[in-house]
Amino acid sequence: MSVKYTPVQWNPNKYVYDLVTLAGIVLYIVLFLKFAPMEIERSQQVNYPILRMRAFGTCAFLLLSIILCIGPLARLDKRFLPLLYNRRHLGVLTFAVALTHASYVIDWYYVFSPTDRYVALITSNVDYGQFLGFPFEAFGIFSLFVLLVLAVTSHDFWLKFFTPPFWKALHMMIYVGYASLVAHVLFGYMQGATDPIFPVLVLFFSATVLLLHIAAGKRETTADRSTTAMIEGDWVNVARLEDLEDEHGHVVPLPGGERIAIFRYDGKLSATSNACAHQNGPLGEGRIIDGCITCPWHGFQYRPEDGCAPTPFTEKIATYRLLLKDGDILVDPKPNPPGTHVDPVLIGESV
Amino acid sequence: MAKTHDDFFVGYIRGVPRGSRALIILVILAFVGAMSGAGYFISATQPDPGPGRFFFQHKAFTGILETAPYPLVRVAPNETYPEGHTLLLAGQGKRGVQATAAALAGKVVDVGGVLLKRGTIDMLQVGRRVPLQASVDGLSDDAREAIDLSVTDLGTWRLTGEICDGKCYVGAMRPGTGIAHKACANLCLNGGVPAVFVSTAPVEGTEFFLLSDQNGNPIDKELQRFVAARVQVDGQIERRGDLMVFKVDLNSVEVL
Repeated sequence: MSVKYTPVQWNPNKYVYDLVTLAGIVLYIVLFLKFAPMEIERSQQVNYPILRMRAFGTCAFLLLSIILCIGPLARLDKRFLPLLYNRRHLGVLTFAVALTHASYVIDWYYVFSPTDRYVALITSNVDYGQFLGFPFEAFGIFSLFVLLVLAVTSHDFWLKFFTPPFWKALHMMIYVGYASLVAHVLFGYMQGATDPIFPVLVLFFSATVLLLHIAAGKRETTADRSTTAMIEGDWVNVARLEDLEDEHGHVVPLPGGERIAIFRYDGKLSATSNACAHQNGPLGEGRIIDGCITCPWHGFQYRPEDGCAPTPFTEKIATYRLLLKDGDILVDPKPNPPGTHVDPVLIGESV
Repeated sequence: MAKTHDDFFVGYIRGVPRGSRALIILVILAFVGAMSGAGYFISATQPDPGPGRFFFQHKAFTGILETAPYPLVRVAPNETYPEGHTLLLAGQGKRGVQATAAALAGKVVDVGGVLLKRGTIDMLQVGRRVPLQASVDGLSDDAREAIDLSVTDLGTWRLTGEICDGKCYVGAMRPGTGIAHKACANLCLNGGVPAVFVSTAPVEGTEFFLLSDQNGNPIDKELQRFVAARVQVDGQIERRGDLMVFKVDLNSVEVL
């Protein structure tokens, strides 16, 4: 968290995260370009520029697939949450790798010609009416554009500028970008592929990304269904007091589908929106640290009684009115405007 | 007393919680190991791009120039080709030499450059040292007679294979075939580089054919949408000296 915008708010975890990512990328590229070709017998080696574009292209696909596995993995098992913490750096690096791939392609296949390279890029293969031989370049250009938009707007400055809901919706484009990338690979590399490994990895990773998202979604739906909310007048009975662990959050779905987070702390109960104002992280899976709700994704904090980030921070989330009745926790499903103070319910003062 | 929350990860406060540490270390090792393995083995299993390549030594030849369907030279016997040979001609980069060749059709020419070779196809990338020009010394009668200018009709054939640009296929790009190379091939063909057909099965001992339309002209732009795909196509095969020409019927092309 920071009140001023710095390029990167470094800490030891981010250093380790970025070093590991860079190590993986560098090893991939070096082994691909330097070591494997030297040891393989071929009548002629693949052109070095083509080898480079293949190295960076395949690397970008693998990295983006890994990025998309992190979210559902963290939803299925909280031990994976540290992988999510610095995921945007991984995303920016993936864009850099993809851009390198694109620049090598343009500077090899689209040069040495009387036609300008960028004009050639969009005019030399335009048979969109056919399946086999479909201009797969278009899918790659679109994916690169999506990665560009997401990388450029990944900083918290843009999150605040666009507002979290819009920013989150914008960054959901990553799924469209990934689908387009899979199409780019299927219609390009895979149509002429005779090598066994990368096509298998493409199928494996696309299936894994899909199945992990289905599994994570199913788990959340099951969790929502297992929490039976009962309407009592203007109030909704959402949980029993004994279900709430001290200094932990508890996610409950409201009848309209909205999720709220209830916190038990210092002998009190408070409720807020479950969505963090930073990146919509699930606050109900967070903790109370130093008296503040702490998001499990990036550690953004809010006071439980008013949903305001502690000064000098300015983020705010919606709060909800609570009632404790014979051990039942009831919530008024109408959210208060973000930052509205609501007196916490004192445990022991049950109605 | 406040809880320590040692099992809860907050990136800017503390490192990975003890309960997650083993898993995260495993993930890190798996990531680095998998990236290394994938990098090596994906590269190691790249298909052989074939034997075509440049021979970067300047060569000059004298022979008779033909311009249809694409510029080519019937080279008289010489040190490089003791029995003479047909050389396809291309310019620098993705360019043909049609502009220069047009005025020299049927004449004896000198031409120099670097050779590209693959199988029975040889191409000369015309350079500046000996540009395509009317021959300075001409050809002796013996040399002229040694050039095989015969034309033999081998009948109508249905061939399966790939339409490529002749320059990339013979080694300017490795590989110079396949869908990933299609845009590059189209740029070459648009620039005037000769089109070739690479058959999956040989006809009279060769899998490589210079392509033309049914009238012996350069292939139409319409045919470019079939470039790089595996296609089946009907046409007439003609042997011109040691060169095979496949005169294709555009309407017969079928993507397989």
